[in-house]
Amino acid sequence: MKHGMKDALLAVAVAAGLGLGVATASAEPTGTFRYAEQVKLITMDPQQQSGSGVPYLRPVYESLFERGPDGVPVPLLATGYEVDGLDVTITLREGVAFSNGEAFNAEVAVANINRGVALAIIEGLKTVESAEAVDEFTLRIKLKEPDPAIIDSLCHTGGMMLAPAAIADPALDRNPIGTGPYVYDREASREGEVRVYTPNPTYWDKDKIGLARYEVWELPDDTARLNALKTGQIDAGNWLANPQSAIIDRTPGLKLVRGSGGLNYHVIISDREGTVVPAFADLDVRQAMAHAIDREAFGKAIQFGLAEKSFQPYGKDDWAYDPALEGVYEYDLDKAREYMAKSTFPEGFSFDMPSIPIYQSRLEALAGFFNEIGIRMNIVPQEPGTLARVSRTTSYPATNLVWQTNTDPKFLALRYIYENAAYNPFKTAPSDELLALAEEGLQPVDPAVRAPIYRKMASRLAEEAFLIFVTNTPILFGVSDRTADNETVVYRFGEDSINLRGLKAND
Amino acid sequence: MIRLIVQRLLALVPLLFIVSVLTFSFTSLLPSDPVDLIVGDTATQEQYEIVRERLGMNQPIVVRYVQWLGRAVQGDLGTSFFNSVSVTGAVMQRLPVTLSLTAVSALIAIVVGVAAGMAAALRPRSWIDRFATLGATFGQAIPNFWFGLILVAVFAVNLRWFPATGFTALSASPWDWLRSVILPSIALGTSSSAAIARQVRSAMVGVLQQDYIRAARAQGLSARRVLIKHALTNAMVPVVAVLSFQITVLLGGALVVEQVFAINGLGTLAIGAVRQQDIPMIQGIVLVMVALVVVVQLATDIVYGLLNPKARPS
Repeated sequence: MKHGMKDALLAVAVAAGLGLGVATASAEPTGTFRYAEQVKLITMDPQQQSGSGVPYLRPVYESLFERGPDGVPVPLLATGYEVDGLDVTITLREGVAFSNGEAFNAEVAVANINRGVALAIIEGLKTVESAEAVDEFTLRIKLKEPDPAIIDSLCHTGGMMLAPAAIADPALDRNPIGTGPYVYDREASREGEVRVYTPNPTYWDKDKIGLARYEVWELPDDTARLNALKTGQIDAGNWLANPQSAIIDRTPGLKLVRGSGGLNYHVIISDREGTVVPAFADLDVRQAMAHAIDREAFGKAIQFGLAEKSFQPYGKDDWAYDPALEGVYEYDLDKAREYMAKSTFPEGFSFDMPSIPIYQSRLEALAGFFNEIGIRMNIVPQEPGTLARVSRTTSYPATNLVWQTNTDPKFLALRYIYENAAYNPFKTAPSDELLALAEEGLQPVDPAVRAPIYRKMASRLAEEAFLIFVTNTPILFGVSDRTADNETVVYRFGEDSINLRGLKAND
Repeated sequence: MIRLIVQRLLALVPLLFIVSVLTFSFTSLLPSDPVDLIVGDTATQEQYEIVRERLGMNQPIVVRYVQWLGRAVQGDLGTSFFNSVSVTGAVMQRLPVTLSLTAVSALIAIVVGVAAGMAAALRPRSWIDRFATLGATFGQAIPNFWFGLILVAVFAVNLRWFPATGFTALSASPWDWLRSVILPSIALGTSSSAAIARQVRSAMVGVLQQDYIRAARAQGLSARRVLIKHALTNAMVPVVAVLSFQITVLLGGALVVEQVFAINGLGTLAIGAVRQQDIPMIQGIVLVMVALVVVVQLATDIVYGLLNPKARPS
């Protein structure tokens, strides 16, 4: 009997730990939580999302997996997975229904994955050939090539599950239907201003619904968002490194939360064989440039002290982060000049760099640093929204972009390293070492096994110095003190949103 | 008068046509590409082409324009490039917001401007006149967005008297509506009130020196009657012309002030559409704004005619 009781308690504790929805006396959802998003909502179709805006989707849609507190994927609508070569088998949670009453099962999940593959907008699904149902609650994804990041991709928009009725709806971008804890209240929402969400009556884990109402305000103007936070019109919001977030950091009653992941600002030497700018083929020149940047001053002056020096593509919270690379290109003007002196271009040279308005001040600072070693960087203005496109062409020998540090490291090769990589417009063949590491990183699935490979890759990238990492800015949340004290506020790993499961209002 | 209204409304048709041609042409000349924004940074050329075809961007500009025009004359301004939101719906949703802002701003501008102008004109070269002139100069010099930021900092963030951001519809709560528009309207209307004050002062000083004013006073009419009925009515004739221009300025200024107060009006919609190069949305906004300006000018002409019988069409 004693053992029986012990076992029962243990079972309850384990089940609770696994989040299996043990029956507890749940309180009625109460109160409102108001979140402000800095980008306007474009579409509520997760599979057509090409950028930001996930905070608008999370209340309604759940993904098959989500990132745990350490960034490692844990099941959400799935219950487990197995990767066997090019086959990924995923078991699904039973008893889940969409908010319109439609059942969630393997057939629906397959339709979702195949739709995402056909639309081909989500980068994380580009390795997927197709999906098929094995049984009612098991699906199999067939890959075109090994992809250890596939489960991670299913933590984001690629793994969000839409109801069949929503998929069939031509106005899906404003009529989202998912399995999430909240439903979109179109009547209460105001287009371009605020999105209102109310509890989902069919939610599979009702104890996790803590709010009577959740609002996402579209406030792209940083000052307006700051004022809304100061006056209590919003409880939290997301920010980039700008004067307004610096104000939050020093305003009593407000708090700037530094989330995991972030944006890594870096310079890309696209013409690394020197087709247009011969000097770029010289490793000494590239290393001189890397040493010439005073990242500390850059972070303070240009990014308001909210950015950290960066020498690798990974953030400090990432599993691939290599502490040994810290300071590898520490600011050292003498060293930079020595590298230039021993290069084949000791007198310096000039090159063009594309710029969009938000990067103008960054590039002016970099131009000043490069000028100190005799390199003249001409800043060429581009229309906003065109930087990525021109960076994929041979119009410029170098460019500057940001890399999201929470992106799986395999994408480094797809974007910068492979001969046909998106941001390798001069089609430079990678070094044997880099190519081998890129291929090696695709074989194992376990991050613990992959980490040493990608650390080597970061080290090799530093040696070749065609990607010059400058600073890393964490994901920033501006919150009120009450939100900061609210223990139910959990920031999603590597994402600019709050986990709504279990979130309660500040009061 | 009815003929005037009909004439003006008929003139609106070619005007809107010309404006739509120009807007379509200029927007298409922009180097940025909405398809890039839709497909994102990691899209392949194939995906890019699919979206480009879906939006009809691979067709010649003339064909695209004619197709758009064919739908527009039937009242369909199309849908956004980026989602299923109809242009007409989006514009009509924001129009009351911008009109609220413009109307309250115009009211503030008229009340403050006329009162200050009259006070200054009644006592020329007095301290009231100098103060009003100084105020008018200050009002015209300060940028409305800067003034808006100051108002927010003082009255919303520090004193908490008004909301810092957002707009409440009149139908939802008249009191909250007033609270939501008062600061942006002051920010927006200050400059116009200064311009109106200057005009009223100048016109009133001239009118008050006219013989008929002296005659009215000699007849023993009360000072108030002379001022309101004889002086102000005549002084308002040139002021109405300024007012027409100022309302157009207020409409334009609302686009900027909406940003400061995060008000979801036509300005916010326009800025978003221009940033994304959402051509159907830009077209719709521009056409509505042009129509609004024409309506304002028509209303001005009507008021002008009522105030000045000589100006009425025969």
